[in-house]
Amino acid sequence: MTNFTWIDGSIVGTYLLATMVAGIMVRKYVSRVDDFLVAGREMNVFLGIASLAATEFGIVTCMYTAQAGYTRGFAGSIPGLCNAAAMFVIGWTGFCVKPLRDSGAITIPELFEQQYGKFVRWLSGVVIVLGGLLNMGVFLRVGGQFLVVCCGLNPDYLEIAMTVLLVGVATYTIMGGMLSVLVTDFVQFVVMSIGLLATTFLVLHHVPWDLLVSTVETRFGDGGFNPFVNEKLGWSFVLSNIFTNTAAVLTWQTCIARLLSAKDSKTGRRVYTGTAFFFVCRWVIPGIWGIAALAMLDPNVVQGIGAQFGEKDGTLFAMPYFLASIVPMGMMGILVAAMLAADMSTDSSYMLTWGSVIYNDILAPFRRTRWSERKGILWNRCIVALIGVFLLFWGLWYKLEGNLWEYLQTTGAIYLASMSTLLIACCYWKRSNNWGAVAAIVTGAALPVLALSLNLFVKVQALDQLGAPILQDGKPLLEGIVKHYIGDDFVNIGTFLAAGAAMVIGSLLKTLLHRRPPVVYAAHDPSASDMGGESS
Amino acid sequence: MNLTEMLNNHAFWGILTLAVLIWYSTVTVYVAVRGVVDIKHMLGNLAEKQRDPKNQVK
Repeated sequence: MTNFTWIDGSIVGTYLLATMVAGIMVRKYVSRVDDFLVAGREMNVFLGIASLAATEFGIVTCMYTAQAGYTRGFAGSIPGLCNAAAMFVIGWTGFCVKPLRDSGAITIPELFEQQYGKFVRWLSGVVIVLGGLLNMGVFLRVGGQFLVVCCGLNPDYLEIAMTVLLVGVATYTIMGGMLSVLVTDFVQFVVMSIGLLATTFLVLHHVPWDLLVSTVETRFGDGGFNPFVNEKLGWSFVLSNIFTNTAAVLTWQTCIARLLSAKDSKTGRRVYTGTAFFFVCRWVIPGIWGIAALAMLDPNVVQGIGAQFGEKDGTLFAMPYFLASIVPMGMMGILVAAMLAADMSTDSSYMLTWGSVIYNDILAPFRRTRWSERKGILWNRCIVALIGVFLLFWGLWYKLEGNLWEYLQTTGAIYLASMSTLLIACCYWKRSNNWGAVAAIVTGAALPVLALSLNLFVKVQALDQLGAPILQDGKPLLEGIVKHYIGDDFVNIGTFLAAGAAMVIGSLLKTLLHRRPPVVYAAHDPSASDMGGESS
Repeated sequence: MNLTEMLNNHAFWGILTLAVLIWYSTVTVYVAVRGVVDIKHMLGNLAEKQRDPKNQVK
């Protein structure tokens, strides 16, 4: 049941060709590592806004935000409000981002070296890459699943379609680096925006506002509009999202890459304030699509689609299935082009920006002599290609369980908690040092990894609100032990608090243990009482 | 799309949805136009840097 025809295929094909040509044409401007990684720091405000918006909206984003709308109603869009507020405040005040951009660093760990030393720079790079790769590992599969459900693509060709798309994206990213990413992002932003707006007007035409509201009221009560009165969300959900989104604005590689590619810190901050409200759009628009799907679809059908993909939960597929039924021929091509645009911009930027950390920080100890620009660019190209290969294989075999946003939040927390702590301390706490930094990194990574592992390997019976076991296909539904007893939000909040505490305790401990013994001066020396220890 | 419904029935979410649609429609056009200028400047500056003998790549 889909309206994807040869006309739509032609629209998509034309778009893909135009993007590839644009991406490859700019490769001639890349002659230095700086050009490849940060576009020679020549990015201006509006290109930055287009690029950041396009990067931060992929098919995966559309899927999990629509899932939030389907499973939580309007209250599911709260993370978007938190993200927008964080981005606006940070852009407006320059909190952390001003000193970071003014430092001239290419990556965040490079700035850390100035305060915490070489080892912390390397370790930060490892943690950033680990968290980022796990996070982006699910992008391809989810993108492919959208295409299968929405355009009626044969599931047997899902892997082939994903591979072709990734090879195309990798080709222009490898050739032109950040320059290709920025230029293709711009094209993708325009195509994506047209598709998103046209589809939203169509959805609101098919499902009137009153029906959306009454559906949410019936399914979730007041909790569908207000997260604080929602039993499954509550204050912990809001607080967890405030922490995550603030940390993401400060340290998420794709955001920071735009700041560091900007002409100066003022331009970078304007990109942040200018893009802030887009993060509300990013959650509200697909959220409305998800609520519309909830209003129009039979839940059993949705569950059946999930089973078709071997997933326990079918809620992720409600939105594309609903769109397939209402979007007419011709417009389907625009929608799919928009979604591919969104996905390609995300994939290219993720591969490049995480690759930049591998090159700049993880490989730094192995570059004993200064590499030539050509050698540096070659290495960067190889790293991007290897990340592409990783994405392909991880994306093919990893099966997602539960809510996609919670998975992304948990994997992101592996580094978000520690890196944001390190960055804030680096910029504003002179007494912070490498002991505190290492303690924060280890604590920040250990808690989410432990929670993720326990959830994967130790299962308990899922219970409903009355305490009775939930059955699925006649069998008891199982869920991870940490998710069951603690909850993803509390794990996330705990990780941030623990990383902060580890930084303070570690730094103070080093200061205390390395304090010089007091120097004994002559009794008449008045300066003796003012002499204190010095932290290294 | 009924505007009165959106403003009367759960006004916060209705107004927010309208704001999203208005903001996104207008900003897309503005950013699309100004972004082209930014791309031209960026590529022009990079080409100039490449021509500068001080920046010849080794």
